[in-house]
Amino acid sequence: MEEEQTYLELYLDQCVAQDALAPPGSPLLSPVVPDEVYIPNSAHPETVFNSHLEEVKETSGPFSSVDLSFLPDELTQENKDQNIIRSKHEIEENCKTQSQQSRLSLPREQDIGLGLISNSSFSNSHSHLYPGDADSVQPSLEKPDSMPLASIAPMTPMTPVSECSGIVPQLQNIVSTVNLACKLDLKKIALHAKNAEYNPKRFAAVIMRIREPRTTALIFSSGKMVCTGAKSEEQSRLAARKYARVVQKLGFPARFLDFKIQNMVGSCDVRFAIRLEGLVLTHQQFSSYEPELFPGLIYRMVKPRVVLLIFVSGKVVLTGAKERSEIYEAFENIYPILKGFKKA
Amino acid sequence: MPGGGRCPDCGSTELVEDSHYSQSQLVCSDCGCVVTEGVLTTTFSDEGNLREVTYSRSTGENEQVSRSQQRGLRRVRDLCRVLQLPATFEDTAVAYYQQAHRHAGIRAARLQKKEVLVGCCVLVTCRQHNWPLTMGTVCTLLYADLDVFAGTYMQIVKLLGLDVPSLCLADLVKTYCSSFKLFQASPSVPAKYVEDKEKLLSRTLQLVELADETWLVTGRHPLPVITAATFLAWQSLQPSARLTCSLARFCKLADVDLPCPAPSRLQELLAVLLRMAEQLAWLQVLGLDRRSVVKHIGDLLQHRRTLVRKAFRDGTAEQEAGEKELQGRGQGPGQGNEEVAASSSLRLPEGKRPASPALLLPPCMLKPPKRICPPPPISTVTGDEDISDSEIEQYLRTPQEVRDFQKAQAATGLSNPP
Repeated sequence: MEEEQTYLELYLDQCVAQDALAPPGSPLLSPVVPDEVYIPNSAHPETVFNSHLEEVKETSGPFSSVDLSFLPDELTQENKDQNIIRSKHEIEENCKTQSQQSRLSLPREQDIGLGLISNSSFSNSHSHLYPGDADSVQPSLEKPDSMPLASIAPMTPMTPVSECSGIVPQLQNIVSTVNLACKLDLKKIALHAKNAEYNPKRFAAVIMRIREPRTTALIFSSGKMVCTGAKSEEQSRLAARKYARVVQKLGFPARFLDFKIQNMVGSCDVRFAIRLEGLVLTHQQFSSYEPELFPGLIYRMVKPRVVLLIFVSGKVVLTGAKERSEIYEAFENIYPILKGFKKA
Repeated sequence: MPGGGRCPDCGSTELVEDSHYSQSQLVCSDCGCVVTEGVLTTTFSDEGNLREVTYSRSTGENEQVSRSQQRGLRRVRDLCRVLQLPATFEDTAVAYYQQAHRHAGIRAARLQKKEVLVGCCVLVTCRQHNWPLTMGTVCTLLYADLDVFAGTYMQIVKLLGLDVPSLCLADLVKTYCSSFKLFQASPSVPAKYVEDKEKLLSRTLQLVELADETWLVTGRHPLPVITAATFLAWQSLQPSARLTCSLARFCKLADVDLPCPAPSRLQELLAVLLRMAEQLAWLQVLGLDRRSVVKHIGDLLQHRRTLVRKAFRDGTAEQEAGEKELQGRGQGPGQGNEEVAASSSLRLPEGKRPASPALLLPPCMLKPPKRICPPPPISTVTGDEDISDSEIEQYLRTPQEVRDFQKAQAATGLSNPP
């Protein structure tokens, strides 16, 4: 018992040190789990964890005799999640009964938490681990089944640092629309509101501006309104509500229906020069680079459906998104491509 | 009328194509006999008199194709002939125009757009065959605005799903340089300004390659860079006689338009050359400036790869070994550089270090930012806050203000608010 405890401590220390280096540890179970359970798409290279695993195998006999045949051959996402949740409950139950495992309960829950909220590649690995753990934990209460749990305890971070760009695009403009659901007299609005412009010969809508949040709205006689200039979704919504209130105060029965964000624009800087000619050659089907017309390269990303304007100075403008996450996802997709063109 | 066919009545060969109420007919000009009429139904004898007519000029095509499309197709062919393009280009361009016309959006477009579409089809064809035609040229020929051209071009590329390769810079240099009227003496071009075409071309190409390597071409219109490069190449081939000539005068005597960005491209290119010159020991001591560096462009271009590598590194200091190596190589144009080189080889080991290499970046990254954008304050707006009445009231006019405003409007006779 004692030596196994100290072994555990040693192992945990080693694993913590290896955290930043190793990719998701699905091969953890590979020497242990029978082949039909190992999901083919999570083909991660064998990592340092394997060396730990050898040690684990040697010292914990009962671990290798774990019967995992109850696992289905193909674990779908729901199955994986269910397995994780099921095993979590089982492990938690065992935690309460086993004092010797109390030390590990915290890291275990952390891992389970990590497993639950990580992406699918992680859930692959975790799905192997948790059901296995549940099984191993249940039969033997005294045995140090903390081993398999210990082996999963220090997991690699969710998004490995090498992949993440570390740059967050800033939102610059949000365009949203809302239906005020009543016919409006634009002349009356232009007369009674200080912040309104109305030139029917030039444009068939009232242009209204408010100071906080600093936005502009186009109000049409049909009752539809477009609100632009906000820097976040919440600000856009607040601004649209303020415009609706102004219209209400002017005596119209304005409501606030179907508020929808139509477009979001973000920008950021990758801080290195980009060879646009090279980029248009390799990504011809998505890029359009016409230096005679426009100095930037227009990249039409398919998933998510976002248009990026990429400039030689490294500044990137992203537009066409309906959600903030689309902008972030688009940038994370383009960053490795741009890094490839960093040096001439 | 040539082409065979005799009138069955009088046997004359004078057959004229005429139309009777829009039905085309072949009529004998001697006796007035109608030899053939229309192409829908023909008798055996008619067919004997029929002459071969290309489908595009036969009435068959005209019936299927609308007038505006016919006009457009004629314009495409005319444009191809004006540009002296090979025959295959014409067919491709016509095919693209027809393809475009199948889309309702194009059929319903304004005449101006259809006119510009002609240019777009020709441009796409040229690009796909690596024929260096610039948009500026097409717009000049069509008397079109570049903005309208740009919009139509982007639209048609997207609509037809075309794969358009980039403009080939080397070919553009060749055609553009060839258009400079400097290769023969004339009343406007004195003898000392005349230059050999091949020498000018090769040096211009080298300068354009240098500009491309040092980030002066990416994101910019290619033509001004080529103008600046041609000017520098021309000057450097006979610097003593030509240093006094300015870029504007050069373009005037070469009968070429001076593009607006060309002077600034010239300055950028000279700055790059000056940095490279700093890496050559015998040039360092001369203390070159933007005018005198032109005399040494030949040398600089000869060693351009090494010099660019040495002149533009990120922060590392110059290696003296490399310097000495360059010293031994090559000589400058006979201006007493030999003795200068000899003396400088003595001076260098004494510890005169060159300036630290500059960063190789596009000019837009080297300039200081115009205004530093502060990061936006983190806003804690939820979107569902209460909106106070007072805040809304500040945007409304009081009744008195409304009356005053209406009076003011009536007085000035304007119905629009200011």
